[in-house]
Amino acid sequence: MATTAKPVQGKIKRPNIPSAGIQVPAVSSFEQVDDEILATLKPSSKWFMGLGLAIAAMLVGASAWTYQIYWGLGNAGYVPPVMWGVYIITFVFWVGIGHAGTLISAILYLFRAGFRTTIYRASEAMTVFAVMTAGLFPIIHIGRPWKFFLLIPYPNWRLLFPQFKSPLLWDVFAISTYLTISTTFLYLGLIPDFAVMRDKETNPIRKRIFAMLSLGWKNTDREWRHFAKMYMFLAAFSTPLVLSVHSVVSFDFAMALTPGWHTTIFPPYFVGGAIFSGFAMVWTILIPIRKWWNLEHYVTLNHLDATAKVVLFTSIMVGSGYLSEFFIAWFSGVAPEQEYFWNRVFGQWWWAGWILLLCNMIFPLSLFSQKLRRNPTWLFILSIIINIGMWYERFVIVVPSLSHEFEPWQWTHYTPSWIDMCFLVGSFGWFFMWFLLFIKQMPVIAIAEVKEIVPPKMKNDHGGHH
Amino acid sequence: MQGVLAVFPQLDAVCDAIRDLKARKVPKVTVYSPTIHHEIDDAIDAPTSVVRVFTLIGASLGVTFGYWVSIWSSQYWPLQVGGKAIASWIPYTIMGFEMFVMVGCLSTVAGMFINAQIPRLVTNFGYDARFTHGDYGIWIETTPDKFAELEATLKSHGAVEVRGER
Repeated sequence: MATTAKPVQGKIKRPNIPSAGIQVPAVSSFEQVDDEILATLKPSSKWFMGLGLAIAAMLVGASAWTYQIYWGLGNAGYVPPVMWGVYIITFVFWVGIGHAGTLISAILYLFRAGFRTTIYRASEAMTVFAVMTAGLFPIIHIGRPWKFFLLIPYPNWRLLFPQFKSPLLWDVFAISTYLTISTTFLYLGLIPDFAVMRDKETNPIRKRIFAMLSLGWKNTDREWRHFAKMYMFLAAFSTPLVLSVHSVVSFDFAMALTPGWHTTIFPPYFVGGAIFSGFAMVWTILIPIRKWWNLEHYVTLNHLDATAKVVLFTSIMVGSGYLSEFFIAWFSGVAPEQEYFWNRVFGQWWWAGWILLLCNMIFPLSLFSQKLRRNPTWLFILSIIINIGMWYERFVIVVPSLSHEFEPWQWTHYTPSWIDMCFLVGSFGWFFMWFLLFIKQMPVIAIAEVKEIVPPKMKNDHGGHH
Repeated sequence: MQGVLAVFPQLDAVCDAIRDLKARKVPKVTVYSPTIHHEIDDAIDAPTSVVRVFTLIGASLGVTFGYWVSIWSSQYWPLQVGGKAIASWIPYTIMGFEMFVMVGCLSTVAGMFINAQIPRLVTNFGYDARFTHGDYGIWIETTPDKFAELEATLKSHGAVEVRGER
């Protein structure tokens, strides 16, 4: 919040203007900002349809969970030694999705990237709901979800404490910190917008609710001064947090001696992949929103172009990670490593390996074309391709390694069961249900922050005095 | 509490009024703005926020707690793993870092709440709903005998509405 605004840069010669100077030229007044963004809160038939689908998908997952709790974890499709499957794959997938939100709200804030202003609220909400979704999977995976509290180091009558040297416990700390900070970030950014909603609301019950949510915010200079400082510190804390969370998730694998896992490249490779898939999910949710709620002059083609450059960069980063893994396996001379990587692209798991390489390395190269970077339809299709690719990336990391370890007699196959697939569908339902409920109750674009980049009224109004 | 509330539609008008009030050494001035404007910050010239002190204290306590809880509980319930020391500070740095971020952030938020004086129960005094919409405002806490003088000053800078509240 605050100070992300930059003056409009000179004359725009080409559509490919620098990201940092992106503004919203079709938005001219504070009143327009309030009216247009608050108009998105009115329910529409498309929204009801989307919510209905999301709830139906969520119920599929809930039914599967009920079934699994009753009949046991044996329904999960695990075949020893593949005792991590779709649950952990989907956990890592959703943690990764959650990365873009905090990257956009914190890191791009510190870099003063102008294109974050109109996309960060939706991304932050996406982060919170993605981490909420991810957090379910370790609980599902332990089979007895009511025992989850044993992971938390609380004083108890048995005087037992968790193993602090275990990456799985690091995950508990990392994910819970990330969820807490992301939710705090989202809520605090919403406070000035709740005040706008409170002051515009006519229904007394809703007005009271917004009054409570806004904490009595009045837009005073004192509030803004402390708020801006707090926001900057939160962004500064969240920046290393973004990098650490997926690094810690990668330690779940890298700390093990399993072929394909035990490598120091995992933390940056996981973080790059997380940002890559997170930005793709930002497209999946923002492109329909901007189209259906007439927000194309807020989330402009310039914004999409800038995010496409981030996706292209992270795609290249992830692709370099893939290639480095092959190189390291060859260069190390370790036979099980070489066997694993051969198996990944030419052996048992060739199809999964090639889905991953095509979706994450080849298709994103289309973003070198400016025309495609500015084509929302292509970006939406690409976002789906990338997310399929990124789910398969986690599949390729988890399953081929476990099914093809050191001992040939242990080698096996793994096929997800119908319960696994129901959980996967349910996770999307759960995520989209929360997101759709969010966008109908709270502004999907930050009102107060957009006002920062709209030229204020002046006595001798020439515009652009900001 | 009593005072004068002025509404300004333009940013430069409210900045001029702030500078004039500062020059006249008028105390207890509160400025309202729909969003952050550096022009207003410059005109007010307020001291740096002390929220950073809360951040420092919270983050220091957090990192200390993260290391302490790992080391203390490991020694309380020793688990020998892979020849590592019972209290291994390298893996415990992750606990230290996570607690550093978590407590640092939450204490920063607490610092903001304390200094910005929120949550607040009443917003209808010395306030106008237009300040969240698009207009700027100035609230001066003062006695009724100064209302007329302040009203003239504020109107001379372009206030479209000035009202006394008591």
